[in-house]
Amino acid sequence: MEDVTGMDILRFSLLLVALTAATGAPAGETDANPAPTTKDWAAIARLPDWSGVWTPFVSDQNRRIKADPTPWRPEVAKQVAAMEAEEEAGRPRGLFIDCLPEGMPSWMLITHNAFEVLYTPGRVTLLGEMDGNRIRRIYTDGRGHPPDPDPTFHGHSIGHWEGGTLVVDTIGVLPQSWIAVSEAVGVPNNGDLHVVERIHLEGADRLYDDLEITAPKVLARPWKTTRIYFRQRARKYDIVEGVCLQGGMASKQDEYGNWLYVPIPQEDGNPVPPK
Amino acid sequence: MNHTPTRSLFAAALLWAAAGLVPVLAHHSFAMFDFAKVVTITGTVKEFQWTNPHVILWVNADGTAGEAPAVWSLELTSPGNLTRGGWDRKALNAGDKVSVDLNPLRNGNHGGALIKVTDETTGKAFSTNLRAYEKPGLQ
Repeated sequence: MEDVTGMDILRFSLLLVALTAATGAPAGETDANPAPTTKDWAAIARLPDWSGVWTPFVSDQNRRIKADPTPWRPEVAKQVAAMEAEEEAGRPRGLFIDCLPEGMPSWMLITHNAFEVLYTPGRVTLLGEMDGNRIRRIYTDGRGHPPDPDPTFHGHSIGHWEGGTLVVDTIGVLPQSWIAVSEAVGVPNNGDLHVVERIHLEGADRLYDDLEITAPKVLARPWKTTRIYFRQRARKYDIVEGVCLQGGMASKQDEYGNWLYVPIPQEDGNPVPPK
Repeated sequence: MNHTPTRSLFAAALLWAAAGLVPVLAHHSFAMFDFAKVVTITGTVKEFQWTNPHVILWVNADGTAGEAPAVWSLELTSPGNLTRGGWDRKALNAGDKVSVDLNPLRNGNHGGALIKVTDETTGKAFSTNLRAYEKPGLQ
C-alpha cells in the first residue's frame, strides 16, 4: 500500500469542501425551494402507489352520520338538529350552492367527486374534479407552518411519511369553511380549525383518510373519523374539467356570431327554467 | 317604489308556482327527493343541460289523468360522474321522446331525481345507479 502523501490529504480536503457546499442548508430552513435532484426524483419511486383516480365511498359517508356522530357543542347540536329536520321535510339548505370550494375538512368528508394525487419533490398534491380551486398542496419538504398564514379554504398543509402513511397537519383555514356531514347539514368551523390526517392504503385499492378534526368553536372535543376512496384505473375514470359556475351560464351568439356565456337569470341561486 | 328582497322573491315564487315551474338549486342536498317513491313520466326533451355541478334534464311531460301537461326538471349528478356511467353530452336531444323514472320532489312540484331515462327516438336507455360504482377497479 502506498504512503498517504500531502497531496492526497489536500485532494481529500478539497473533496470534503466540495461535498459540503453541494448539499446546502436543510430544506426546512431556507426561504427558497431548491431545484430537485436526481436523488429526490428517485425517492418518489419508493413512495406508496397512490396513482389512478380516487372515487369516494358515498354510502359510507351517509352511514357515518349516525354511526360515527360528530361531537358538536350543545348549542351547535341544536342548529344541526334543525338543519336535519329541514332536510327530512324536503327543504334542505344547500351549503355548497354558491360554487365556492368545499374546503377543509368538507372536501374529504362529503365529496361526491373524484380526485387524483400527484407526487413531486417536496410535495404531495391533491387535485379534485370540479373547479380549479379544488387543490390541496401538502408540503413534505420538512418546512413548518408559517406563524400567521393568510386563511384559505384548504389551509396550510405540511406532511411527512411514516412508512406508507402520509401524516398531514393543516391549519390556517378560513372560519367560513364548513364542517359538513352532508350537502345540507354542517356548520362553519368558525376559526382555530386544526386537522391531522393519516392517509394510507388499506389493501391494494382503497385509500383511507383517518381524520382528527379539532374545532374548539363548534366541536365539544376532537372528532376522529375516517373517509374511504376507491382506486380506478380505467381511462374512462380520468378526471375531467368541471367548472361549477358554468351551470349558471347560457351559451348565446352575439350579433357578430361570437359565442358568449351569459348568466342564466337566477332567483335566490335557482336557475329560471327555459321558456 | 321600494320592494324588499323578500317581497320580490315571494312574488317570483308565486309566479313559478302559477306557471308550474320548478326552481332547481345548484349543488343542493338530494334529501329534497322522496327516495321511497318512484314516478314515471313520458314526454319530449325540452333541454338537456350538460353542465356542472348538476346535469339537468327538462322534459315537456304529457299530462296524466287529472293533470295538465307540464315542464318537469330532473336532477342528475355531475358530467364527470355521469360519463363514468356511460352517459355523454349528446345522450339526449331536444325533441326526443322519452320515458323517465324518477324519485319525486317531496314538496309535490314537477321535478325529481332521475333514476332512468329511455329515449324512444334513439332507442337508448341511461340510468344513474351510482351505488353500483362504489368499489375499486371499475371497467
